[in-house]
Amino acid sequence: MLKLFECAMDIGEQMLISGAEVYRVEESINRMCYAFGAKRVDVFIITSSMVVTIYTNEGETFTQSRRVTTTKFNIEKLHKLNDLSREICEKNLSAEEIRKKLEKAVNSKTFPLWLEFLSSAAIGGAFTLFFGGNFTEAVVSFFVGAVVWLCLYFADRFIPNKIFSKFYASAIATLLAFLSVKFGLIQVEDKVIIGNIMTLIPGIGLTNAIRDLFSGDSIAGLLRFTDAALTALAIAAGYYLIAVVGGVFLW
Amino acid sequence: MVKEEILQIIASFIGSMGFAILFNIRGNRLFAASIGGLLSWLFFILINKAIGSEVVAYFLVSCIISVYAEIMARIMKSPTTTFVITSLIPMIPGGSLYYTMVSAFQNNGNDFFQKATHTLELAAALALGVVVVTAFMRMFHKSANQ
Repeated sequence: MLKLFECAMDIGEQMLISGAEVYRVEESINRMCYAFGAKRVDVFIITSSMVVTIYTNEGETFTQSRRVTTTKFNIEKLHKLNDLSREICEKNLSAEEIRKKLEKAVNSKTFPLWLEFLSSAAIGGAFTLFFGGNFTEAVVSFFVGAVVWLCLYFADRFIPNKIFSKFYASAIATLLAFLSVKFGLIQVEDKVIIGNIMTLIPGIGLTNAIRDLFSGDSIAGLLRFTDAALTALAIAAGYYLIAVVGGVFLW
Repeated sequence: MVKEEILQIIASFIGSMGFAILFNIRGNRLFAASIGGLLSWLFFILINKAIGSEVVAYFLVSCIISVYAEIMARIMKSPTTTFVITSLIPMIPGGSLYYTMVSAFQNNGNDFFQKATHTLELAAALALGVVVVTAFMRMFHKSANQ
């Protein structure tokens, strides 16, 4: 039982890391634990930690907690974990079987790095067009988007603070946009900056935050909301820094 | 439809697909998620023209896209989030946020306040649409289970 319970916790933890909503994780853990034969299950999950206590028919209680510090959206992983938790509820899998499948889900394939690089650049270009930029601006934005991806990629390795890495990616995007105006590649900088803000903006965080808030997970919702608001501030600060410093020294 | 609007719709498809790749959505689901992005902007243009209020249009589009996401989630057996987050990407008020930043930078108090409120309104309308549909689906789901 303890082994199975541990598996359920690990599945829940991985779901949370790959960007699942809080209520989905709570529900999955509830169902899995009942499927394992628990008499009562108490689940408390917020975006950064989880505590679960189960009561067995033999009168034992187990409590485990997990601290979650990172989130990285990985839908393929989430999809597999979701399938796994359903399978557990339907069939009686042994702990070893679950472990094997969990491992497989955690190591699910990701797109090659060059494709991520390319799509980040494409996002920049596409949204510049989207917000009314012309073709030249879109091309500039494409390259700026590529640089922004590189920034975020290296920031992920060397800077543990996610909000700061957004700050500095936004500063670099703004700098490049202003420089391309200075060197006469484009007329105005705004469309290029907007296109690249779209890659940094915490739109999903904010939507998830309000979703959590309204579905009763107020603490999780507030955490996400704070995170989104701080990220938006960081992006604005990055822009502000370049606009002020650049205004004094560069142009 | 005007040329610019068609261009916007194509761009929203590409942008959503880019995000779907970053979020590691694979196979058929990648395509469904990108189409969602295209649909969201298409509906926005149509509804915005019919009603003339951006905020209301945002709310309605978000409802429509959430329903689309629920349907796709059933068909492709994947969490609803997969389709919601990617399909709503073009609706994220990035431009609005940028102009808020600029007016803050230019020390234009009135303008800043107006733009900040507008950005928040758009974001709230977007999230509320998702919430309404999610609540309905859960109610439906519960009564179906009983």
